[in-house]
Amino acid sequence: MADIYSIIGSALNAQNARMDVIAGNLANVDSVTQPGGTPYRAHEVVFEAGQDADGGDSGGVSVAGTVLSNAPPRKTYDPSSPFADGQGFVTGSNVSQPDQMVDLIDSANSYSASVAVLAQASRIDQQLISSIQVSS
Amino acid sequence: MQAGFLDLYNGVLNVRAERASLIAGNIANADTPGFKAQDIGFSDALSAELANPAAAAAPQFRADATVALNGNDVSLDSERIEAAENANQLSAAATFLHQSTADLITALRPNPSGN
Repeated sequence: MADIYSIIGSALNAQNARMDVIAGNLANVDSVTQPGGTPYRAHEVVFEAGQDADGGDSGGVSVAGTVLSNAPPRKTYDPSSPFADGQGFVTGSNVSQPDQMVDLIDSANSYSASVAVLAQASRIDQQLISSIQVSS
Repeated sequence: MQAGFLDLYNGVLNVRAERASLIAGNIANADTPGFKAQDIGFSDALSAELANPAAAAAPQFRADATVALNGNDVSLDSERIEAAENANQLSAAATFLHQSTADLITALRPNPSGN
C-alpha cells in the first residue's frame, strides 16, 4: 500500500487527464468533415486501479487508455456548405456537449474530493509532527 | 517502567493511517470501472495490529454499497464522511499521545519546576 500522498497524486493526475480529453472533445464539438472523411469521435479515458512494481494493489489509480465513442456522427442539413454530401448533409463530430459537461462536473467533483483528502492528510501530518516535538 | 500506552497508540496511529490510505485509494478510484471500495474495521484491525505489528490487516469490501452500472461501488460522499471521521480520530489519538508524552517528559525531568 503506497502512502496517501502518492495515492492522491495519482488521482489528481488521472482526473487531469480526463479533463484534458473533455476539453479536446468540447473543442471539436462543431468540427465537420469532407464527405468520405473520418469525422471526429469523442474520446473517453478509462481508469484502472493502480499497481505497484510487484503487481500488487498500490491503492492509487492510473489511466488505462482512451476509447472512442461509438455514437453516430451528427448530420446537419446545409446544402450550401462546401462540406455537404450529395444529399446536402454535413457530417459533424459525434460529441454530445451535455454529456461532456456532465462528465466534466463529475471529474471536478472527484478532483475536489481528492484535494479535500490531501488537505486533511497534511493537516494530520502537521499535527503528528508537532505531537513528537519536545517543548523545552 | 511500563509505557503500554505508547504501544497502544502506536497501533492506533498505524491502523488510522492505513485506513486513511485505503479511503484515499477509494476516492482515487471513484471513476474506475469494476473497482470495489476497500476498508478495514477499526477494532478488528487494531487487535490484529497489537497481536502482530508486522502483518497488515487485510482490507475488506463494503457489504451494503450500491454498485453502479460500470461495476464501481465507491460513494464519494460516504468516503468523504469516513475520511473526516478517521482524520478526527487520528487527530484525537495524536493529541492524546502528545499530552501523554509531554506528561512523561515532565515526569522524567530531574527538576520539573526548573528551580
